[in-house]
This record gives sequence, C-alpha cells and structure tokens, in this order.
Amino acid sequence: MKKLIALVLALVMVLGLAACGGSKPAEETKPAETKPAETKPAETTPAEPAAPEQTVLKLWCIATESDSNRPAYLKAIEEYEKAHPDVKIEMEAFENESYKTKIKAAMMGGDADDLPDIFFTWSGAFLGDFVDAGKVFCLDDYYKPYGDQIPEVMLANTTYGGKHFGVPTTFNIVAMFANMDMLAEVGWDHVPETYEDLTACCDALVAAGKIPFGCAGKETWCVTEYLEPIIIKTIGYEALGKIFAGEATWNDPDIANAVTTFQDMINKGYFDPSGMALGNDEVKANFLAGKTAFYQNGSWNTGEINDASFKPAVALFPVMNAARSTYNQTIGGPSDSLAVCASSKNVELAAEVAVWLGKEICHYNYLNAVGLPAWIPDYDTSSLKPLLVDIADLVASCEGMVLFGDTAMSADPAQVYLSYVSQVYGCEIDGDGFVAGLTNDLG
Amino acid sequence: MKKLYSNKWQILIFLLPALILFCGVLIAPIGASAYYSFFDWNGFGEKTFIEFSNYRELFTSNAIGFMKALRNSLLLAALSVGLQLPLALALALALGKGIKGERGFLSIYFMPVLISTVVIGQLWLKIYNPDYGILNVFLRKVGLESWTRIWLGTKKTALGSVFVPTLWQYVGYHMLLLYAGVKSVPPELREAAMLDGATDGQVNRYIVLPYIKPIIKISVIFAVTGSLKSFDLIYVLTNGGPLHSTEVPSTLMINMLFLRNRYGMGSTIAVMLIVLCFGFALLINAIFREED
Repeated sequence: MKKLIALVLALVMVLGLAACGGSKPAEETKPAETKPAETKPAETTPAEPAAPEQTVLKLWCIATESDSNRPAYLKAIEEYEKAHPDVKIEMEAFENESYKTKIKAAMMGGDADDLPDIFFTWSGAFLGDFVDAGKVFCLDDYYKPYGDQIPEVMLANTTYGGKHFGVPTTFNIVAMFANMDMLAEVGWDHVPETYEDLTACCDALVAAGKIPFGCAGKETWCVTEYLEPIIIKTIGYEALGKIFAGEATWNDPDIANAVTTFQDMINKGYFDPSGMALGNDEVKANFLAGKTAFYQNGSWNTGEINDASFKPAVALFPVMNAARSTYNQTIGGPSDSLAVCASSKNVELAAEVAVWLGKEICHYNYLNAVGLPAWIPDYDTSSLKPLLVDIADLVASCEGMVLFGDTAMSADPAQVYLSYVSQVYGCEIDGDGFVAGLTNDLG
Repeated sequence: MKKLYSNKWQILIFLLPALILFCGVLIAPIGASAYYSFFDWNGFGEKTFIEFSNYRELFTSNAIGFMKALRNSLLLAALSVGLQLPLALALALALGKGIKGERGFLSIYFMPVLISTVVIGQLWLKIYNPDYGILNVFLRKVGLESWTRIWLGTKKTALGSVFVPTLWQYVGYHMLLLYAGVKSVPPELREAAMLDGATDGQVNRYIVLPYIKPIIKISVIFAVTGSLKSFDLIYVLTNGGPLHSTEVPSTLMINMLFLRNRYGMGSTIAVMLIVLCFGFALLINAIFREED
C-alpha cells in the first residue's frame, strides 16, 4: 500500500502541465455587452493635476526588447500617462509564440486577476474564439469619438456579428525584400518582377555561390510567408480568401502547381539549407548580414531593413498564373490589434485607453517604418523611410489582399494547415499530397 | 498516546489538512483532466460531451501523431535505461570507492542538473548551429566536412540530437542517487569480501549491486517515467519539429491545448501519460520483485 501511495504521489505530477491550464468550467458564453461610454474620449479628457490615487491598467503584448513595435508602445504609453497622471499602464511583453500560450491559458482560467485589462491579439479567428466565448469587451461606443479617423475596412478583421472588438495597431503585407548590393554582384539592378526573371536571378546567385532566400523552418508561419504569396499569385486573392474562410475547398489543381513551384525553388538550392533549423530572428539576421539576397516576410521588418548596411529594395512575389492572378495582389491586412478583457475591473477606462493607444501605436509604428497605417494619418509624414514609401506604393496599387492563413483560420484548422505547410517545406509531401491532405482534413 | 491512536476521529482530524491539500492540489486536477477528456472543448467556449471519441482519435489519427510521439518517448526511455543509467552507475561505483577529489567530481557531474533547462537548451542550440556550432566547426577542422549536418533541422538527425543533451543532463542526477546507495554499503561487507580475495569488480558485482538494488529500481522508474513526460529541453531545442520528428506526448499535449485549442484532446493526452507512467512504474516494480 505504501508503495502504491508513493507511486501515486510521484505520478500525479505528470498532470501538472495540463492542470496549469485551469480546471474551472467554462463561463456562460454570453457575448460581452456594450456599455455606453460614460467617460470622455482620452484626447478630450483634461489631465488632472497630481491625482492622489492611480488606476492601474495591465497591458499584455508581444513588444519585447527585440520587437520592432516596442518603441511605439513605449512612446504611446508614455504620452497617455503624461496626459492622464491618474492612470498607470503596466506593460508586460512576451515572446510571440509563448504569448499565444500565455493569453490562451489565462483566458481558459478565466480569473479576472490573472487576466490583463488590455491585451495584444491577432485579428480574425484568434480574437474571434475569445469573442465567441464572451471574454472580450465590445468597443463600438469607444470608437464614436474618433469619427472617420479609421476606415471601416480596417476594422473588418476585428468585427464579429457587426460589433467591433479590436483596435488595429498597424497594417502589414508580405513583401519580398532584396539586398541590391548582392543582386548587383550578379548583374541585376532591379528586383525581378516576373517569375522567369526571378529564377534567372536566383540561378545567377547560386552559380556565384550565394544563397538567394532564407526561410525559418523552425517557425512555420515564416514558411507560409513564402508559400501563401506563391499560391495567391497562382489562384488569385478571391479564391484563396474563400478557401481560408472555409467557403471553398482546397481541392484546386493550381494549388498543387503552386506547391510544386515552391518545392522547385527549394530543390534548385534557392533556399538556405540551414533554414530548417533556424528561427525567424536568425534568418532575418542572416539577411541583414548579407548572407542571403532576399527575405520574404511581413512589412513590419521595413524599418530594420531600411537601415541595413546594404542598399535595400522591395517588391511583391511575381505572378505565376496570369489567367487567375495579377502582380498587385498580396497576403496581408490589419492583424495586430489591441482588445479589452470583458472581466477587467476598469473595463470602460480600459476600452477608452485601448482605442487611444491603438491609434497612437499605429502612428508611431508608421513613422518608425514598422508597418503601414490602419488609422488615417493626421500628422506629418514627410520624414517616412524610403523603403516604407515603396511599400505604401505597392499597397496603394493593390487590387486584392487576403489575411495571413494562420490568422484567418481558427486555431485547430490553422494548425493542421501549418503542419502540411511544414511538410511541404521539408519536401515530405508534394503538391498533390498537400491538396489531397488539406481537402481530406479541412474540406 | 495509546488512547490517541485508538481514536480514529482524532487521527482523521489531524490528517485532514494534509489530505485536503493533497486532494485539492494533486488528485482534483487529475479528475478534472479525466472529466475534460470526454469533451470536445476549446477551453473557453461551449463543451460537447463526446464519450470516448478523443481516445479513439488519439490512437487512430495520423494527423495527431500520438503513436509516433509515444514511440519517441519509449525510445528515449530505452536509451535512458540502456545508456544513461549504466553510465551513472559506473560513475557512482567509481566515486563511491573513495577516490581522490571525490567531492569535486561529484559536484561537476551533478552540475547539469542544477543548470536551468532553458540555459542548457540554448547552449546545445549553439553547439548544433549548422554554421558556427562547435560540432560542425570541429568536424570541418578535422577534415570530416562530409559528416557535418543540420543537426536539429533534418528528420534523420534531429531526434538523436535532442536525445544527447536530454540524457547527458540527468546522468548526474541518477549518479547521485546511486552514489548515495553505494556509500550506504557497510564497509565491513566490502572488507570481508576483500579479505576473501575478491577483486573490485567482484565486490561491485556480488556485494554493492545487490545491496543498492532498491535504489537502482527507483532510478529505473525515474528514468522511464521522466522519459515519458520529457518536455522542456525538447520544447526549447526543436518544439517537436522538424516535421514532428521529435514530437513527444508532452509537446503534443501543449500543441493541442494552446495552439489548436483542443482542450479535450490535450486532457486526453494528459490522462494517457498518467496511465502510462503508472503502468510502467508497476511493471518495473513487478520485474524487480520477480528477480528478488
């Protein structure tokens, strides 16, 4: 009996991991009700001198020391606190991947003390799951003071059932950044804009012993930054948008062709073979250090790349199938957002602060070349970095855009999709296998 | 005192606080996990009772890959028992003899256990880095360029590469357990054997090993159950990749719970881990009892 008890004691520890997720039953899934705005908007609230007691608001985000969004967060918070001495915003930043676990675990637990008042979120299904569970506060009334400073289209990805639950802090697309110094060494003075040119350029780079692309296999979202632009340039944004939304099937032979194109590029040695074992930071560092000629990733990297030691340039991935797509289509949209926990003890103040912060973070992110503005700029933009202006031009001529696949889809199908994407990058399955697998698992 | 022991109610009252703590902190989460394993639930929305569907899916779905993850864990357990423990035992026997610098060696071998797993993970990430990692650099320097690999990035080498630091980290832990056992062997037993002309090897074989058998059993249980629930170092090094080749049940559980929002399935994996650990512990106990 003693042995049995000892064994039980030792073995029950195994469940620690699962138990950490919380064992409380789900709260009633009632959407958070909209409360009328009783407080004035942040910009018009007069600052109270030397308030005796501060209201503390907790903000969770992914603006870590190495994150390019951090300066914008710090600046916006500093300005708000300066104008409102009675409010203290405590920002806690977490690494991107661990944040997904952190916020979900906190939401599952459902304890108000464990949750922040304001939290960073990706739009689409990521926030949608929390909204469905009634964990997020509706911001409709808190947008009213801002009138038409943010176009409705920019709120589309954080709108559920006609109500607004998120504040976009930036707007990003997937872009193909190039090191023009490396391209010049193999006789190219511009970023290739057709697939034939791109392969010719990559062949020249490979022949010269240089690596054209780097892609972080350790973080599958980075692989989607390559695969999704190829798919959209093969089947068009309308078809891909319907697939991500679950309104159309994956069973499209052109998707298999797009995968084949991607794998051809891998097999021709266009990608750094070390990439499979590297994370995004390492791959980006390789590009910035001149080890790879191209880096296809989000436009949030623009500031760093603009300031690199080489001459940078930017373009979109070329068209693969002109019958179904055009050059001016890409992956992207407003995704990074702030939202307010419905369980916040200061929910109205948090809502007011979240909208104000979202707008100002967007403002400073734009000036820092960390992304494009989701909010209409009402400030001087004459000093923008040249690379960001180029991206803005690309967006201005965009005909259609589809939100990042892993954001557009809800958690379970998104992970199934990412699993197939990683198999494509590892050349474990071919185009037909990718299409057949996703059609079978997701429809 | 006799009166106190004879009163069952008094015993119960004294035990009650510890019992409540034990049940609340340890037993209740197991019960909750078992309960949630019968539901299709994303962790914060509506729950749907689906009976044993999660269990059926766990063992039949290739998309989840539980069997593959379990196979990896069992392989780690086999390596742990077959390589890690013999090495730990050899070190314990060598140090237990009372060699010069015994304390120093003990501290050095135990050091990896004291270092944070995340730090060890970062250290080995650097060692395995395909470009500047010491392993590939060394191979290039000694003219074995063709042996260089992307150790953590290819399916063929990733699992082995993850196992090396996992096994290395806990050699010291098992060594310390066994060392304590070796030190507890009465010196007169050793001396008597030596007087009878036994060699060091014979003393170890016929005196020390039988004496520390209960500790060896504990070490085997720890090694096997530890392998089944291995998580942290694998999470840091590969997070189950590339292409799920280093997936173990715990990384799969985290994936289900927090990335796929499948709280029911994550709980099912947790329950299976408990059952497996419990089952293996009983099996190892039975094997050692049989030998006795």
